[in-house]
Amino acid sequence: MHRVVVTGLGPVSGIGIGVDEFTDGLRRGRSAAAPITSFDASGFPHRYAGEVPAFRPAELLRRVRVAEWGRSALLAAAAARLAATDADLPLPLADPGRAGAVIGTTSGESTVVEQLVADLVAGGYPSMSARSLRQAPAERLAYAVSAELGLAGESVTLTTACSASNYAIGYAYDLLHTGEADVMVAGGADSVCRWAHAGFYRLGALTERQCRPFDRDRSGILTGEGGAALVLETLEHARARGARIYAEVLGHGLNCDAHHMVAPNEDSVAACMRLALDNAGIKPVDVDYVSTHGTGTPANDLCEARAIRAVFGDRVPPVSSIKSMLGHTMGAASGFGAIATTLAIRHGFLPPTINWANPDPELPWIDPVPNVARPATVRVAQNNGFAFGGNNAITIFGAIR
Amino acid sequence: MSGVVTGCGVVSAAGDSVAEVLAAIRAGTAVRTDVHDRFAEPLPEAEAPAIAGFDVRGLLGRKGTSFLDRATALAMVACGRALTDGELTPDDDNRHRIGVVLGTTTGSLRSTMDFSRETLVQDKPYLVNPVLFPNTVMNCAAGQAAIRYGLRGVNATVAGGPLAFLYALRYALNAIRRGYADALLVGGVEEYTPNTAWAARLTDAGPAGEASAVYLLRRRGAEAGGARAEVLSVATGFAPDDADAGLAGCAGRALAAADVRTADVWALAGDDADGLRNVVPTTVERLPVRPALGDCQAAAGALAFGALLARCAEEPEQAGRPALLTARSRDGGVAAAVVRGWAGGGDDHR
Repeated sequence: MHRVVVTGLGPVSGIGIGVDEFTDGLRRGRSAAAPITSFDASGFPHRYAGEVPAFRPAELLRRVRVAEWGRSALLAAAAARLAATDADLPLPLADPGRAGAVIGTTSGESTVVEQLVADLVAGGYPSMSARSLRQAPAERLAYAVSAELGLAGESVTLTTACSASNYAIGYAYDLLHTGEADVMVAGGADSVCRWAHAGFYRLGALTERQCRPFDRDRSGILTGEGGAALVLETLEHARARGARIYAEVLGHGLNCDAHHMVAPNEDSVAACMRLALDNAGIKPVDVDYVSTHGTGTPANDLCEARAIRAVFGDRVPPVSSIKSMLGHTMGAASGFGAIATTLAIRHGFLPPTINWANPDPELPWIDPVPNVARPATVRVAQNNGFAFGGNNAITIFGAIR
Repeated sequence: MSGVVTGCGVVSAAGDSVAEVLAAIRAGTAVRTDVHDRFAEPLPEAEAPAIAGFDVRGLLGRKGTSFLDRATALAMVACGRALTDGELTPDDDNRHRIGVVLGTTTGSLRSTMDFSRETLVQDKPYLVNPVLFPNTVMNCAAGQAAIRYGLRGVNATVAGGPLAFLYALRYALNAIRRGYADALLVGGVEEYTPNTAWAARLTDAGPAGEASAVYLLRRRGAEAGGARAEVLSVATGFAPDDADAGLAGCAGRALAAADVRTADVWALAGDDADGLRNVVPTTVERLPVRPALGDCQAAAGALAFGALLARCAEEPEQAGRPALLTARSRDGGVAAAVVRGWAGGGDDHR
């Protein structure tokens, strides 16, 4: 069995594109929240989202042609290119068949599908663009990454909604750990779209302007988007090429609520944490920081905080939600969480939960690292991801020993 | 470590058994179902290889089924059948070790497009029905199946279009090898709707088909009843510049991982396997799905696997001999699995 390490980070986010900007954004507690520009939101009562208006795919991508891919695939491929550059990965790889991509997503090529809907409304089904139809399949997110970096190994898109990046990291970890691959690019991507904005609004889960996780007056999610990618390698492969190592992937855990499509389940979330800690071979007391799912809805944060207390008892580590800064980037969310967790370990700081004003009297055990990043030694960190369908996935990262 | 298949559940245009899927594939002519009055919207064809007479309420009951989309309902029915066929009853002792891994293309394109359409045509863009929102996420079918049967183990949805079942099979095999699950419902589902029918027509992939086929995969040694088939290995790759060579390479890796010689392969199931003509002799039996059952996308591989099981069941001398299951996509995805069917691999458990 092989140890697995993180050697490259590629965030394409509303608080920064590239690892330097993103790290700076986390340290400063920058917010991506802004009026929506990717669709006409004037008819919505809530018109803010965490978009990535600075994303210029043609400036980041070297191999894939922008016109041939949907926005989510481009976000994934650009994140992967940034991660590969950050990792100083020698491309083309000597053995591309031993390198692959696993990408998670909630809504896949949602902007492509919404273009098809516009075609349909304008002229009926026969008016749907064949080009858009060919771009719509979700598997193309991973294919865009493989095409951009010239990877010939496994290329798989996991569509497990808002924990999908953690699924991707966990699966990539397994493929490396068991010797099936030497290098894997793992992460996730999603694009802001009308239907998700409308759906969350009608569920009563959408906040007006600010996402305030763990605050007494938290009012819901801010829809967001982005691409998050990590270069993962076996420790031998990284050492053989003299790569800089950010952190080690210690393990992961998966389970399913089998309870409700939308509402989270405290017992199941706690069980998933225990699975992840066991898989990583660590105990709750070892964990220095938890990057939470922390959507900012009353229900999620209460459920997650209670599950954390059930697992960590009287020694709950500091937790924070980067969704306060990024918004809910859906399938990319736990990928950004993994990047933030890795940076926390590498640079010794805890990303803040911004927009936080009032402690929630129901959650007195929660230290949300309010508003300001905090210096801290982080040896082991846990990254939570939960999703519609009860798809829970948690990854564990540690300082390289 | 390999995985063994101990049960199957099929809903297809050819019928609800792997034997009927095999019979349709062997006949080689397109299954035709009258669809001209199935939808309010126009279709590009009056007949299609769609499932006839799928009665959701009759099969799943009235409770909790009125908002299910067709893909989700098809998956739920096939999952239930696979559990029953495999004689596995989820209970409080085992449900956390039983899970679901389903292949998809875009989830339910109809659910997503209808929901999105409401944001354009209603007076206000937010006047969507929130009850239908979960149908727009691609893991809806796997999540609903888990709820219905109380399955708390690994629950994943894998996108791959024509490769989706092989991706799902590989994902599931890993989960079983790594000890994350004892039993997984592995399958692929695709629905026939105006959206898929027109998509297939407009991209020259048609006619669109539909099916749901799910297999109960268990850790070897954990199976209670007889093993119907054994999944020895799955290999996948990405070869956009030379998919023929990519597919041949994949098949080679899958065979090597299974420790099987090419000469011992007795059947080749799946569409678009021309790239293997120089690897697997043309005398080896081929079982392509598309000519009979249309473009079933994420369900295609699952149907091909079912046909292999049925083929082994009817010919005991082939039992235990390795067969190849392959798939490829126009984007360059390639995958191959090595499986062995056993004599009891058909539908004789039901």
